[in-house]
Parts: sequence; structure tokens; C-alpha cells
Amino acid sequence: MSLAQKGRRVVLAGLVLLGGVYVRALAFTPVERFQGPAQKIFYLHVPAAVTTELAVILVGLASVFFLFLKDPRLDRFAEASAEVGTVFAAIVLTTGPIWGKPIWGTWWTWDARLTSTLFLFFLLISYHVLRSAVTDAGLRARYAAVLGICAVVLVGFIHMSVYLFPTLHPQPIVLRPAKPGVPPEMLVTLLLSFGVFLVLYVGFVMQRYAIAQQREGAASDV
Amino acid sequence: MSEGVPQNAGYLVAAYIVVPVILLAYAVSLYRRSRS
Repeated sequence: MSLAQKGRRVVLAGLVLLGGVYVRALAFTPVERFQGPAQKIFYLHVPAAVTTELAVILVGLASVFFLFLKDPRLDRFAEASAEVGTVFAAIVLTTGPIWGKPIWGTWWTWDARLTSTLFLFFLLISYHVLRSAVTDAGLRARYAAVLGICAVVLVGFIHMSVYLFPTLHPQPIVLRPAKPGVPPEMLVTLLLSFGVFLVLYVGFVMQRYAIAQQREGAASDV
Repeated sequence: MSEGVPQNAGYLVAAYIVVPVILLAYAVSLYRRSRS
């Protein structure tokens, strides 16, 4: 079985498991008293955001190692992880405003966390534009690696933004020094959803990596 | 649902539809690119 086929199976499993998360979130997780049903967007928005950050951190790590080792597999992985990170960032940027409208009364505000997340999305888009604009494979990989490392710095800023500029976006309620500030039923649903997003990330990266491999094979044949 | 809880399930439904649409669109895009 090829890597692309394995990736497709992992994604399919992830989508089925996502259905399970929906059932758990909608039927077996309590409704938050102050936010109402819209609070359940939390179970998609937060795992998508954490997976985006993870994807970008892995892009950065692969990029750093690529600059030292010049191993094309690292560049391929960084490309794949960046693309999947862009998709998850798109989920964050669509579910966020849908959650924000009923809770904050506005679809969007230029809060530091929101603005920096939007900037990360644009940076990831520019990463792909850069890759498609440079024809020389060696230069493309090097330039992309530098941009990938910049993206990791931005992830650090995004994570700290709610502490540095506390405005509308709340501070973490699960990943914080004190114990998680959500009831166990909600925490379990969140962790299950995070697990499913990780499965989807792995499946998508496997497929995207296989496509990069195919393209390189085709380019070397020319 | 108890009284006083905001009635905003429409936003929940919208978000829960948008996410699989994005994921499925990307899955289809990867499938088509791997075939071409």
C-alpha cells in the first residue's frame, strides 16, 4: 500500500472519529450556562488552533534541521505540514468569528490574538506562494525554510499575545499553570477532539508528503 | 434547557457544518492532486 493510500485511510478514520466527537459534544457534554450551545464550538476551535500551532512548530523544526542537513525529506515534510497547518488555520479563522458573534457581539475585532492568527494564516499562504514562485529546488527549499522558522516565532507570539495584550480573547483555560478550568466531561470531549484532529493532521501530511514525492520524481524524470 | 441559557444553537450548527466541509474539500483536493 502506498503512502498516499495509507494517508487516505487515516483521514477516513479521522473523519469517522470526528463524527463520534460530534455525538459526544452534542449529546453527552453539558451546555455551558452563560454561553449556551455556541460554547460547544470550543470543541472544534481549540483543537484546530492547537493542531495549527503544532503543524507550524513542526515546519520550523524541519526547516532548522533542513538548513543543517540538506535532507530533501525534511523540506518535503515542512511543505506538507505547512499546507495542512494552513487548512487548520482556516478552520480556526472561520469557527472563531462564528463563536465570537453570539458571545462577544461581533464577528471580528483587531484583538492581538485574532490579528496575529490572521497574520499567521497570511504567512502560511505566502510560504506556499514563495514555494511556487521559486523554480530552483535548492533555493526554494532554503527560502522556504527561513520563512518556516519565522512562522514558529509568530506562533510563540500568538501563544503569549493573550498575556501581553489581554483584551477580548480569553486566556487559556486548559493549558495553564493551574489545573484546567473546565469540568471533566468538557475536558474529555476536548481531549478526544484534539486526538481526532491529530489523526487528521497525520493522515493529511502523509498524503501531501506523497504528492511532493511524486512531483519530485516527475521533475527528476524531465 | 433551563431558563436563562442563551439560545444560539444556530451558530453551533453553522460551525459544525463548516468544519467537515473544509476537511472534506481538502481531502478531495489531495485525492485529485495525487491522481493527476
